[in-house]
Amino acid sequence: MAVSALNASHEAVHARYESVDPLYREVRDIRLLGFVLFLISDVVLFSMFIFAYLYLRNSVPNWPPITTAGQLPRFDVAFACINSCVLFGSGATMHAAMESWKHLNKPAFNLWMLATIVLGIGFLSGQAYEYQHVPVTWTGSTMGASFFTLTGMHGFHVFIGVIYLITLYIQANRGVYTGSKYFGLTAGTLYWHFVDVIWVALFYLFYLM
Amino acid sequence: MASNIEKGIAFVLALVVGGTTSFQLYKDWTTTGLDNQVTKLLLGLMAFGCLLVVLACFGILGG
Repeated sequence: MAVSALNASHEAVHARYESVDPLYREVRDIRLLGFVLFLISDVVLFSMFIFAYLYLRNSVPNWPPITTAGQLPRFDVAFACINSCVLFGSGATMHAAMESWKHLNKPAFNLWMLATIVLGIGFLSGQAYEYQHVPVTWTGSTMGASFFTLTGMHGFHVFIGVIYLITLYIQANRGVYTGSKYFGLTAGTLYWHFVDVIWVALFYLFYLM
Repeated sequence: MASNIEKGIAFVLALVVGGTTSFQLYKDWTTTGLDNQVTKLLLGLMAFGCLLVVLACFGILGG
């Protein structure tokens, strides 16, 4: 797509976005700032657990740690790669859904939203499968405790995100949002991208590092 | 063997998702506003995640 056509498209969306009454615009901007601050607070929460994990990891001479049964194996990278792509793919479909809504293409929005929800459930299913096959337990080692705590906390965020997306899908089809008033969808998109990006960090820390 | 098949699938998925995400980032590059700026940052990090997957598939990381 040509850059000029892209800019014209963005300008049309922006003009529609700014065409709302001033009071709504002010409230929307404050809500957006509040939501971004919420995401930052969630980054702090994850950071605390990540630093605790790194501290534990650096407290022992060998990693994976050595237990009475011998050295623990590394986590399965190959399966985690597929599951990561499922989650990252859901981020791409969520972005496509948001863009479809902004460009007033509701059928495409519905399609991409459903794809996002299915991929989100797919990621959770993959994580549940991995939990059953992972070579560590929650109480057996610091490696297992860190793994289940961090990935479990992330999985809980994904679970909440899936419920959030289903709610947004229902609301959008009931006419709660319009072509110029759609803050809920914006917040949902940001939240979903956020859980994707947190997984980038966890994927590196547990499987690649 | 099974691990190599899984890595092959992951590699293809990472290329598709990473390419799509990069294209979305390119399309939105000129947008303004806090929500769009945060979205662009997060899209860039997602593309980075796909790059990590590609490196893991070749055993460069996590081997």
